[in-house]
Amino acid sequence: MDREYDIIVIGAGFGGPVAAKLCADAGLKTLLLERSKEVGDKVISGLTIPFYGFLFAPSFIRDGNPPFERPSDGIDNYIITDLENEEIILDNSLKVPLPFSPIIAFGYNTYCKPFCQWLAHKAVDSGAELRTSTTVVDFIEKDNEIQGVITDKGEKIRGNIIINSEGSQGLLAIKAGIREKYPAETISLADTYDYIMPKEDIDRIFGYSVKMCWGWDEQKAAPPLGYGNGLMVWPYRNSLHFMQDQCLRLDNQKVPNLRKLFDIYHKKITSKLPWWRDLVEPRIKLRARMWEGFEIYVGLNRELRQLPLVKDGMILIGDVAGLESTELCDGVPAAWFSAEIAAEVAIKAIKAHNYSSQALKEYEFKIKSHPIIRWSISGRNRYNLRFAQKTHNLKKLKRYIHNGWGLGALTTFTSPFLKMVIPYLKKDPSILSKWIKMFFRYYQNWLYESYDYQRGTLAKSSQMKRLTKEERKFLRWMRFIDIGVVLMTRIGKKFKNIINSLSTSMNTFLKSFLPLIEPLYFFILRVSRPFAISYSQKLINFVKKANSATFTVINERGVKYYG
Amino acid sequence: MVKTSKKFPGVKWIEGTGEFIKIDIKKCTGCGSCTKVCLAECFQIVDKKAELMSLDECMECASCWYICPEDAIDFFWPPGGTGYKSNWG
Ligand SMILES: Cc1cc2nc3c(=O)[nH]c(=O)nc-3n(C[C@H](O)[C@H](O)[C@H](O)COP(=O)(O)OP(=O)(O)OC[C@H]3O[C@@H](n4cnc5c(N)ncnc54)[C@H](O)[C@@H]3O)c2cc1C
Ligand code: SF4
Ligand code: SF4
Repeated sequence: MDREYDIIVIGAGFGGPVAAKLCADAGLKTLLLERSKEVGDKVISGLTIPFYGFLFAPSFIRDGNPPFERPSDGIDNYIITDLENEEIILDNSLKVPLPFSPIIAFGYNTYCKPFCQWLAHKAVDSGAELRTSTTVVDFIEKDNEIQGVITDKGEKIRGNIIINSEGSQGLLAIKAGIREKYPAETISLADTYDYIMPKEDIDRIFGYSVKMCWGWDEQKAAPPLGYGNGLMVWPYRNSLHFMQDQCLRLDNQKVPNLRKLFDIYHKKITSKLPWWRDLVEPRIKLRARMWEGFEIYVGLNRELRQLPLVKDGMILIGDVAGLESTELCDGVPAAWFSAEIAAEVAIKAIKAHNYSSQALKEYEFKIKSHPIIRWSISGRNRYNLRFAQKTHNLKKLKRYIHNGWGLGALTTFTSPFLKMVIPYLKKDPSILSKWIKMFFRYYQNWLYESYDYQRGTLAKSSQMKRLTKEERKFLRWMRFIDIGVVLMTRIGKKFKNIINSLSTSMNTFLKSFLPLIEPLYFFILRVSRPFAISYSQKLINFVKKANSATFTVINERGVKYYG
Repeated sequence: MVKTSKKFPGVKWIEGTGEFIKIDIKKCTGCGSCTKVCLAECFQIVDKKAELMSLDECMECASCWYICPEDAIDFFWPPGGTGYKSNWG
């Protein structure tokens, strides 16, 4: 029987519109359904989208021009052992060093709504149909195959494949019998405050760094023990995002009184934590408070990790597939990666007229073997942290923090990262220069608040002038890098096995040698600082003045994504 | 109609949600967990049973649904275009 759509995507958060756009690009008749009145109304988040999300994202994001609030160059970790006496240790080792910071960023801080709207715009531009104010309440199901959706208005819409990106609660996935309700101890409730603060103050006090706090339970400066805790402050363009989060149920099965505790913590932090009390508090005004649950400990549970991600006629992507990471709380990269893989598999299945779970299984296989997704959902530092907290073991606490949110993260991240990089280099020899241009373009657009669909003044005026000597030099360098990659991949072919095993063993290597390399690394940073500062300023000035065409990337089909 | 709240600035609630959260009184044991995790104070315990007071400030976080040990809370999204919305998430 003929169905109205090839693809129906549920949810226009971070994952849904990406899947919708890619399916529409392939010429599939695609419908994107969203329950909120405007896209992004109901998406609550931190939010730093880490750099690897952009590097390995579908090319329209990487080569495009999405809206940001501020690039982030890394994390300042405050380890609070005695708040009253201001005994606080700082670990700020995980930072992009000067002169690369702030142009080469660790991630990008953004509000959810404008970003999700940007993604949805892209999907619509590609031909997907978007319907907001539409809650999917059930499925059309026959012989255990999902054949379409039923909306809150009672409308039945038939589609060949449903890509479900409904977010962490997974009410529909549960209804479809594909997943269970996650246990309360895997869910952290994030209590979020949004403050207005003048940009100059943020530049001075935060720069580009996210601040995170950790510490002993009874300090009540970071929420209490469960599977873990957290307190994070994100600097935006001219606002701050404050988030404290805590698991709904603790190890001992107790349910903390979060309503009371969050208020106590918030008061204590804002009045006692020195940098907040003295520097931030006098300069802010509360603009919003909201909260949302997130599934940060799902990945740690083996059984939950084994749950199926497809069923006849349906694929789960993003949070509903349990892909939110435990360590950094990031879920956006995984939502994008899974959206792209789901679109690939769905397009193939539609061409073959086979929508069975057998045909869609390829998706599940690719997700479960994806190096970055696997790394990100199974990190144990935050989980282990609570043992250090329980026993007041400062040495262990410092170690887990260093390994999770300090330079030690390299000992778990490097191998999966290289495993991702190598195939990208092989597939597209100009990928390195595209990545570099991405960082430069993102920074320039941030400086001028010039984004797609809401363009500032920079792009037009600067596109008219001819490239200067410096800009041409930059482009020459990019070409030089491209040629280098081609040569390297040619040589690499011969040494394929060596390169593969090198990338696999990088984590083990760093585990042994990082403690030795680290002091040297920080020594070099210290010595080279004056030079690095002046070079960084030079780079910023270059980006400020540069013709935006310098950082533009032309895609495979000869279309400029930018602008 | 759109409502706001002094307690939770920066958020709007579009009317027309209906009762999208329901408590099954037969299953409820009055353990009080829902009252502890709901930051909007939507629940109270009356005569050892949970009672839904108002969903006016509900942020649709589903914590009450996750935490209820008896599965006594029925939760589904409100109709499209209603309920909470914010620009600052
Ligand atoms: C407090 C918090 C902080 C976070 N911080 C970070 C961070 O710093 N970095 C990071 O990378 N990630 C972060 N995340 C995670 C990130 O937000 C998610 O991983 C990401 O949003 C997942 O995308 P998604 O498409 O799966 O779901 P969502 O973005 O949640 O989108 C789901 C969409 O589906 C809609 N929907 C749901 N049900 C229906 C239905 N029945 N019918 C129609 N529409 C429906 C919803 O309205 C929503 O728009 C954070 C999350 C939270 C809660
Ligand atoms: S969904 Fe969240 S805010 Fe709404 S009643 Fe439940 S716990 Fe309270
Ligand atoms: S959590 Fe469930 S059982 Fe406990 S009081 Fe609330 S509704 Fe009743």
